[in-house]
Amino acid sequence: MTLAEFFSCSLLAFGAPLVMFSLTVANDPVRIIIMIAAAFGWLLSFLLSSLVWYAVVPLRSYLAFGMVFAVIFQEGFRYGMYLLLRKTEEGLKEISENHNIGSNKLEMAYVSGLGFGTMSGAFALVNVLADSVGPGTLGLHNGTEYFFVTSAAMTLCMILLNTFWSVIFFSGFDDKNYLKVGWVILSHFFVSGLSLLNSRELYAATIIPSYIVLLITAYIAFRSAGGSTAKLVQSLTSRS
Amino acid sequence: MASFSYKVLLLILCTFTLAHSERLHEQIYSSIEGGAACFRRLNGTHQAGCSSADNGAVGVVHMIKEINDAQWLVQNGSAGPYMAVVSTVQFYDVIEIFMQQPENVAGILLYDNATDSPTAFSQESRCPNEYSSASGSTCSSTVAGGIVWNTKGTGLLRRDIPFPIFYLPQSKSDEIDKIQLCYEKFNLDKSNQKGNPLCSLQLNSFMFAAVNSEVCLRRSASSALLNPTKVCDPLGDNNVYYSLFPRTEETKSSKPVTLVTARIDTASLFDGVSPGAASSVVGMVTLLTAATTLSQLIPAKDAHLYEQNVLWTLFNGEAFDYIGSQRVAYDISKGMWPAAAPLSPADIRLHVEIGQIGGALSNTNNDSSWPFHAFVPYTNIIPEINEFLDMMTSNAKPYNTPVITPEFTMNLPPSSLHSFRRILKNVTESGELPEVLLADHSNTFTNLFYHSALDEYGKIYFSYKNLTISNTGVFISTDELLANGTLKQGDPQVKIARLATTLARTLYQTVTGSAYSGNISASAHLVDEMLYCFLQSQACRLIMAADYASGGGSSPPASAAPLYVGVAAWAGTAPVFAAHLLALLTGAQLPANRTVCDSLAEPGFSYYWLRGWNHSGVCIQTTMNMSAAVSPAFAITDYDLKSGVYSSWTESVWQAMSARVFVSAGGGGAGAAAAAGATVTVLAALLTYWLHRHADRIFAAPAASIVNDDAASGILRTVNC
Repeated sequence: MTLAEFFSCSLLAFGAPLVMFSLTVANDPVRIIIMIAAAFGWLLSFLLSSLVWYAVVPLRSYLAFGMVFAVIFQEGFRYGMYLLLRKTEEGLKEISENHNIGSNKLEMAYVSGLGFGTMSGAFALVNVLADSVGPGTLGLHNGTEYFFVTSAAMTLCMILLNTFWSVIFFSGFDDKNYLKVGWVILSHFFVSGLSLLNSRELYAATIIPSYIVLLITAYIAFRSAGGSTAKLVQSLTSRS
Repeated sequence: MASFSYKVLLLILCTFTLAHSERLHEQIYSSIEGGAACFRRLNGTHQAGCSSADNGAVGVVHMIKEINDAQWLVQNGSAGPYMAVVSTVQFYDVIEIFMQQPENVAGILLYDNATDSPTAFSQESRCPNEYSSASGSTCSSTVAGGIVWNTKGTGLLRRDIPFPIFYLPQSKSDEIDKIQLCYEKFNLDKSNQKGNPLCSLQLNSFMFAAVNSEVCLRRSASSALLNPTKVCDPLGDNNVYYSLFPRTEETKSSKPVTLVTARIDTASLFDGVSPGAASSVVGMVTLLTAATTLSQLIPAKDAHLYEQNVLWTLFNGEAFDYIGSQRVAYDISKGMWPAAAPLSPADIRLHVEIGQIGGALSNTNNDSSWPFHAFVPYTNIIPEINEFLDMMTSNAKPYNTPVITPEFTMNLPPSSLHSFRRILKNVTESGELPEVLLADHSNTFTNLFYHSALDEYGKIYFSYKNLTISNTGVFISTDELLANGTLKQGDPQVKIARLATTLARTLYQTVTGSAYSGNISASAHLVDEMLYCFLQSQACRLIMAADYASGGGSSPPASAAPLYVGVAAWAGTAPVFAAHLLALLTGAQLPANRTVCDSLAEPGFSYYWLRGWNHSGVCIQTTMNMSAAVSPAFAITDYDLKSGVYSSWTESVWQAMSARVFVSAGGGGAGAAAAAGATVTVLAALLTYWLHRHADRIFAAPAASIVNDDAASGILRTVNC
């Protein structure tokens, strides 16, 4: 049962990001570079937040404290990625064989967001996955065997959220629409805060609101990237 | 957030108010501490004992309360394999059920219940060391009927067990409570176990060696290219011997010896739990005490007055086909033992073996009686034996104990006599080297815990009196302790002291030719201390005093020294303790300081610088020495291990032994994850594909407006696309 659990949870958390990567990123070396750079950016932000967490000894045991700094550093690095991509956009376009690069400015936002999210997801789930190989599962003291699937679902939610947040964030700075940037930061804090409830085993209270936020964020990102529902419906109905 | 989520997942279940966090791993598993595992030994032809799979055996917990539970487990258990949790009381009844149908059994966790203890418990064969017995032995573990020494023996010590077994002593009952709690939470609904989360156990005791000693020694020797691995080691340790008078090459033939022997070692199925109280310790303590008393009766300086000598010997490894005595008998036959002044069979006037004598102590704890049986394996009359038994009886008169019943039979109980009767067959069977065995039983063992983990000090009703020893090493006499009420007639200390006195006086009579008329007798106080040292704690007064003064002063652990013989490559502590006690209690104290002591070298003696009674260091002159107790099978080059002539036991190497309890998943979580994962991945694939393919139609307008600085090329390329 336990090996099945490992592969199922891996599929749930990383299946969708993998599909998105192979359909939209994998065929272009420049996009892959950007994605890796973004993943590296997330790692740096994580390193900094862990340094802060480590340095402030008296607050180490309070997860909320570490969380606040982690969110701040991540958003800082997202802005850093934005600056970096806008500076290097022209150069990337020159070296790219695929001249479609940059046809939509938010394409880069999407790719870097995916890199950001994948790395954060990997870090969130790797330890849990390692224990999911078994032979045991949670339940001896407390918790249930559904802990692993909820962890995987939360990880998927975070990966997708990071992708969409990057799109909204970049578009917000491009358009000087700081409402969008505000949404990103606030919803990031909100979802992170929700996950504090995991320690009380209120998994439903974490997952359902998180996925609602994900849906709203996905819609805003869709709109920010210039998508319109009408045209989407039109594309679905018309034969093409 | 991601980092936060990471931390939450990693450090789940710590609420904000609690200042400590726990790892996920610790939430899933709870290790069972203090368990002793059954391990694998191999002889020339078979493997015996247990081994788990490489990564441990996992099974669903099933508490066995009665035989029906065991039958349900092997026949109807649907969520198997199962890990049977059995108490020592049920073990004898259920083990055969598991051994017959092991398919559904992952392993056994055996525990000793404080409130309910078994009346018999022995993992030894019904006929211990059956295949190393001398001719004339009729005990057979395979054929029904006839005399069987160890009636309640399961024989597991000599059988290949297809699953791991762990043993939890009484002191670890909280671990059983933990398992019981988990069992009651998940496993009680027996008909509905499959597909639900179940309380499970993992036992890990993987053994490197397999097949038999020949194969595993070959595997150990063949060094694989990069990692020369050792998979098994021969069993063995040291024998201890001490003679009343020094024996040198010049004087040895002029003084025939009476050989008095007992054994040091015991055995059990489980690693590190072999208390051996009734099996071997009582015999060893009797020998040590008698040797001490005899050395007080006859001062060593009177050696020139007498024409006889006494050689006290403690054999090691006797539990495994008489390793120690086989080696000694073999060496005597080759004229190589003892190394300094080898004995020839003709030098041995009489061989007296103190066999298993502790079992009867549990039946006679209220009175002073202690019945004995002297096994005399001769059909004709041997004057030395009759004389010895007569002297024993007359010397026992003052105490009315022990009463010795002679048994004239060729069917000897397990004892070192078997080695002598096989290897020195010519002299022993003819009566040239007469042999007699003292035991406390006739046809079947009185010790019902022979070679088991439960053969503890409580079984011989020993309770430690903790009396102080004076600075000069004088022990309180038995009579004084009886008079002031510290000890009673029925206490094992008193009985052993009296037996030792009887034996010492008998040997005095043998050596001097006249009965002892003085009033020196063995002290029950000394016996009390010695039993405590070997049964309860190494950190005892005697061992502290008999330790090397240069030992550094670190006190030994407060638990009994392991009496299992162990592997030859690793010297055990028990024979060293016995040897040092002999040296301290029987040797002569010399007024020498350490440097002088170390430089002394008179032939026939050895010198030890021990801590002494007041821990200031004493120089001891002693005839005590040690010899290797490694089977001749490993000493003879080109010996055929399959031949069965000598003991060929080896012990497997293992890396780790561990046990842990946890809940195994019913599959609900995995199913949910698989379903959700497949759905989400397919949905994501469709959506991404659709959006990607129709990106130009769905995202067209805003993209163009945003990319205002490069509008022309953007439009151009969109068109190109």
